[in-house]
Amino acid sequence: MGGQTGFGPVPVGPDGDERAVPFGADWEARVYALAAVLRRRGVFNSDELRDAIERLPPEVYLSAPYYERWLGALETLVAEKGVA
Amino acid sequence: MTGHEDLPAAARTRRLEERLIAAGLTSDEEIDEFLTRLYTRAFPVNGARMAARAWTDPAYRELLLADGNAAAAQAGFDGLGYLLRVVANTHQTHNVIVCTLCSCYPVSLLGPSPSWYKSFAYRSRTVREPRAVLAEFGVTLPEDVRISVWDSTSEARYMVLPVRPAGTDGLDAGDLAALVTRNGLVGTALV
Amino acid sequence: MFEYPAGSRVRVRAVDPDHHTRVPGYVRGHTGEVVAALGRWPLPDDSARGLPPRVETCYAVRFTAADLWGSGDHTVTVDLWESYLDRP
Repeated sequence: MGGQTGFGPVPVGPDGDERAVPFGADWEARVYALAAVLRRRGVFNSDELRDAIERLPPEVYLSAPYYERWLGALETLVAEKGVA
Repeated sequence: MTGHEDLPAAARTRRLEERLIAAGLTSDEEIDEFLTRLYTRAFPVNGARMAARAWTDPAYRELLLADGNAAAAQAGFDGLGYLLRVVANTHQTHNVIVCTLCSCYPVSLLGPSPSWYKSFAYRSRTVREPRAVLAEFGVTLPEDVRISVWDSTSEARYMVLPVRPAGTDGLDAGDLAALVTRNGLVGTALV
Repeated sequence: MFEYPAGSRVRVRAVDPDHHTRVPGYVRGHTGEVVAALGRWPLPDDSARGLPPRVETCYAVRFTAADLWGSGDHTVTVDLWESYLDRP
């Protein structure tokens, strides 16, 4: 994505988001945690996770909120690896 | 795809969790424990304290810039899990950190990354027009200051060592660390 | 000894793989200067596909804005695995 144009201003919140909460909703925190614990358990590695995010349909990648991309990637990996 | 995408993300998340828990791959306790550790350990003050110590201790500064992991270990952060590279701002050079490919970030030392760091706008524009991006953060650098952008594409994670502000000679370690903002450690603020 | 010592010039291979890779598009085909060798790590292209990964040296390589974008006075340093690089 480096150098691509057309994305507009950086969405900086008040005070540069110094005091913003890290997760906008509980489910986002749990998605983040799920990715970490599954990685730790060896269900997948970081590169597989990034790859799964990149393999999301372009319309999802470009429009879904950040942690929804992680969620989609986790669903993809769990299905592909048949672990649950 | 599995057809779950119509559900709100919260419902999809809970459904995924339940499947994983049923398969014995995690537990509510494990997820809760991970988040508790994240919320109680990963803060920008971690990186700020290291920067502040580098301002007052030349040997620590040298270590921080040559071997970030060893410097982090001295500060109590063993086993970072990534190669820590610290890049020093000077009066001639200003450093800015980005991850254009995803949003890699030294969470253990800076806390969870802010939304703007993960945004397409930051990821795409910082490598191309850093001065304009910094202006959106209210940072205007003198024309003769060169900007050095670091794109975190590997196992390395980057942190900026800001320039110590003038007029801070009398401050103790805690006060100095309080001057170092999270954005200062990413390069989107001057401290 | 590293294949590409600090200070040497390297060219990023102009690749467009159909698999995961960690070569940003904006540096492909461009030439930069090696800042440092960072370490030997598994190649993400292999790890992402579940292949036993080649372990390679990863280098921090610096590019000028003038070269990348045709304007600007900043530099961009990118970490690149050895098989992403060639001699110019």
